[in-house]
Amino acid sequence: MTLSFFDQFSLTAFMGIPLIALALTLPWILYPTPQNRCLNNRLLTLQAWFIRQLTHQLFLPINPGGHKWALLLASVLIFLITLNLLGILPYTFTPTTQLSMNMGLAVPLWLATVLIGARHQPTHSLAHLLPVGTPTPLIPILIMIETISQFIRPIALGVRLTANLTAGHLLIQLISTAAFYLAFTMPTVSILTMGLLLLLSILELAVAIIQAYVFVLLVSLYLQESV
Amino acid sequence: MPQLNPSPWLLILLFSWLILLTTVFPKIMRHRFTNEPATQATKKHHPTPWNWPWH
Repeated sequence: MTLSFFDQFSLTAFMGIPLIALALTLPWILYPTPQNRCLNNRLLTLQAWFIRQLTHQLFLPINPGGHKWALLLASVLIFLITLNLLGILPYTFTPTTQLSMNMGLAVPLWLATVLIGARHQPTHSLAHLLPVGTPTPLIPILIMIETISQFIRPIALGVRLTANLTAGHLLIQLISTAAFYLAFTMPTVSILTMGLLLLLSILELAVAIIQAYVFVLLVSLYLQESV
Repeated sequence: MPQLNPSPWLLILLFSWLILLTTVFPKIMRHRFTNEPATQATKKHHPTPWNWPWH
């Protein structure tokens, strides 16, 4: 019985087309491509405003040399926020629950920040492995710990997004199943469960946005160390 | 969680990057941002335009 709750994350196909392909290609209809006009319509103005604000906030602490990453990080942010938010709607598939996709985003971005740091300023990047003011006997152990933590970063980045979204969707399904089946035997408890479901849905909305933001923020932090 | 370890791992990875590269990057790149209008004369300062710097 428990395993059937994970069926919502399995890769189903409808009439031969895998749903993940639809979930990845169709959301971009919601974002019209801006033309070379001075004044755009309301939707484009709103989107431009959000993109500008988010990119500005994200790149405030980064050196100007790192601003060439602006397009990449802004695009990944919009990508993840759109996919997460659309996944909260009923009967939609959330591609970001697939570990393959999140690791495919996390590992290349993290590796790129590490390689850029190693290429342009190798001594400075290696210096990040040792915090300032460490007592001398602790240095070897701390270097090993910091190296391990450096390698755990991409795994943590991918798994964090996957786990948060999977857990959220799973909870929604579990609690809604409970509310539905309780409606026949204990209606009052069912109404309380529906209230819990409402709060959970609001939480899921927040988590969707926040997790996407955290992903991109951490990549920008790793970038900040390397640029 | 069997559904999170299925066979088309590489395909999902490639497809998501393909969508990012072909659809999302151009859409975000076409957004151009104008500078705020300044009350001072243009002789005093020339703000540089910011257009998704690439290099």
